[in-house]
Amino acid sequence: MNSNLPLEKEAGGSELHPSDNEVSASQQHGTVPSQLANAEPLQHGAMATYALVDGEASIISANPEFSRLLDIDAECSQLSFLEKLEQRYPENANELASALSDTNSSTIELQITSNEHCRLNIAAIDSDRRLVVLEPIKSGHSEIEHVKLSLIDPLTQLGNRRQLDIFLESWQSADGKQVAALMLMDLDRFKIVNDTLGHGIGDTLLKVVAQRARRAIRDDDLIVRLGGDEFVIVHTNKDQSSGSVEKVAKRLVEMISRPFLVDGHQIGIGTSVGIAVLGDETKNVADLMRHADLALYESKSKGRGTYSFFEQTMEQNALRRRDLETSLRRAIGLKQFSLVYQPQVQLSQGVVTGFEALIRWNHETLGLISPMDFIPLAEETGQIVSIGEWVLNTACKEAVKWPEHLNVAVNVSPVQFESESFVNSIQDALTISGLQPNRLEIEITESVLINNPEAVFKQLEKIKEMGVSIAMDDFGTGYSSLSNLSNFPLSKIKIDQSFVRGEQTEKSRALVNAIIALGVNLGMDTLAEGVETQDQYMQLANDGCKAAQGYLISKPLQAASIEKFISDQSFNSVKIDP
Amino acid sequence: MSNAIYRLIYISNNCMEGSNAEMQNEIQCILEFARKANSAAGISGALMFNNGCFAQVLEGPQGPLEETFERIQCDMRHDSVVVLSYEEIADRGFDNWSMAYVGYNADSLREFENIKTESGFDTDAIPAERIFEILQEHLIDAENDKLAA
Repeated sequence: MNSNLPLEKEAGGSELHPSDNEVSASQQHGTVPSQLANAEPLQHGAMATYALVDGEASIISANPEFSRLLDIDAECSQLSFLEKLEQRYPENANELASALSDTNSSTIELQITSNEHCRLNIAAIDSDRRLVVLEPIKSGHSEIEHVKLSLIDPLTQLGNRRQLDIFLESWQSADGKQVAALMLMDLDRFKIVNDTLGHGIGDTLLKVVAQRARRAIRDDDLIVRLGGDEFVIVHTNKDQSSGSVEKVAKRLVEMISRPFLVDGHQIGIGTSVGIAVLGDETKNVADLMRHADLALYESKSKGRGTYSFFEQTMEQNALRRRDLETSLRRAIGLKQFSLVYQPQVQLSQGVVTGFEALIRWNHETLGLISPMDFIPLAEETGQIVSIGEWVLNTACKEAVKWPEHLNVAVNVSPVQFESESFVNSIQDALTISGLQPNRLEIEITESVLINNPEAVFKQLEKIKEMGVSIAMDDFGTGYSSLSNLSNFPLSKIKIDQSFVRGEQTEKSRALVNAIIALGVNLGMDTLAEGVETQDQYMQLANDGCKAAQGYLISKPLQAASIEKFISDQSFNSVKIDP
Repeated sequence: MSNAIYRLIYISNNCMEGSNAEMQNEIQCILEFARKANSAAGISGALMFNNGCFAQVLEGPQGPLEETFERIQCDMRHDSVVVLSYEEIADRGFDNWSMAYVGYNADSLREFENIKTESGFDTDAIPAERIFEILQEHLIDAENDKLAA
């Protein structure tokens, strides 16, 4: 059945390339760019003895060691590099000539003196240029070491990271010529292919992607596979405008988004591309990779399947993000989080039924940081799991002090559902605090139902069995289908504040009424968020909405103010009654 | 490797520009190349074309079929490629054609247009079987006409 087995074995199972098709966690989560954390500028190149050779087999650039080790005359300008080699090593002449003209990579062994050998690794950068890397062969030089010194990625037959590093170094040192642009390309949804169809199919897909990418770029572009599902493309034609770079990037994104057929499966992936162009924004070749990586991060946060050019602001944003990430790690320990509680009232009688717990972060130097800024970051890094547990525990401990008819609602991130212990952590919060389960409500968002709905469904069922109720937050802003809504064990729909707040348009009113009707039909309560005026309040009550929260009723309160709020009887009669 | 035969049906958006004659010439090149390559690879199928769209059925053993599709995928003369179906089949529907062509048959083009209008250009709603049937019906018609004449 599977014709590609030998290559799969070579790539996936061999001890020589144990991590061939592995994608690091940070790449998958799209967190702060990996290159930023451990930038290693051209580290392999510095150790290599190389020459970059043009279509006429003349040297474009080489380090001085190269000619000396090969024992050929670097100064003589009468003969080309190939002619010098042929003269010095006549028995290898044919082999050398064909290796330098071939677009496939090859390795040639030369005997320099009676007891000195060397190996030439020859790799095609494009149809004309060849990168020649020389390694002296020491006795006892094992095959594994040779693989490490190779210039070729064994899975895709593209160049590898070492080839890229040596090429950038040699090209940079060639007189007056510089690298024009570097594109970093990372596949979208590749991890899902590996996880669901297996690494064998993942490897085969990478091979097909490599071929397709080769067809999408220009003939004189260099393409290498860095590892995992990351590829780099280098433009070296200085005359190219950034417009032509953009054209190639656009074509890459479009072509990789086309369906793939692999071993009987139809596979849909995509690619995100980050581009750094040498010039105003990126001054040094050494910065190209890091800048392209920052631009790639930008493409991913724009929703993937797109390309971005590096801009200086990306670097500042990344540094800010990294600082924030570091502070976020310490925030629980330093007790910088606190919860505030916004009252929720039943509309028909105007009585308070409970409070929604909302997180606040008071940073030591930056002051209050909005959850809109730090929650997405915490979700990217996975810190949301411990933050979420802290919120659950704190809210339950607080609510247990309130009169028994008052409930507490706690927001839960979709990322928390990915943790297997999530349901247990709810149980723990109830047990430790002693809060009755029916006084706790968790608020989920529509996005939680998109990834792996079966697994989420099971967790929600368990939560419901405990006696905890579940509300759908921000309803109307996401992608919920009605079937999702009716299938899941929800007891409440929260109408997003964007449909309630401010001047209500005809359209938003129709939408609010539709959601209220939906709630009635599905046997779920509806709660309107963002109620600010008496008019909005009356309107919602008349339209049949069950409950509300918003600044009209009260802004979120400190835990210490709740007792006073509850005992303040004037609240019901003055504000709520028509 | 099993002897199973697979069928692939896809549609894509035409990116070629030029006069009618230039377009016909280009299509002729596509067909000539496809027929030669397909008969060598054991692939049969049919291609439908109008100014806006390609629709193609390819049938054959899995390996060669996937290689053929990948070659087509790297062609810049079309984009927005959508695979409507890819599955194992019992019998080929275009056994006698290395690449049959329905391009200037007014009826088939009209029907194809109808499908596109009915589905509101929503590729998810375009039924793969109907594309397959239209191609097959019109080719059989054409074949019968030839025999009658």
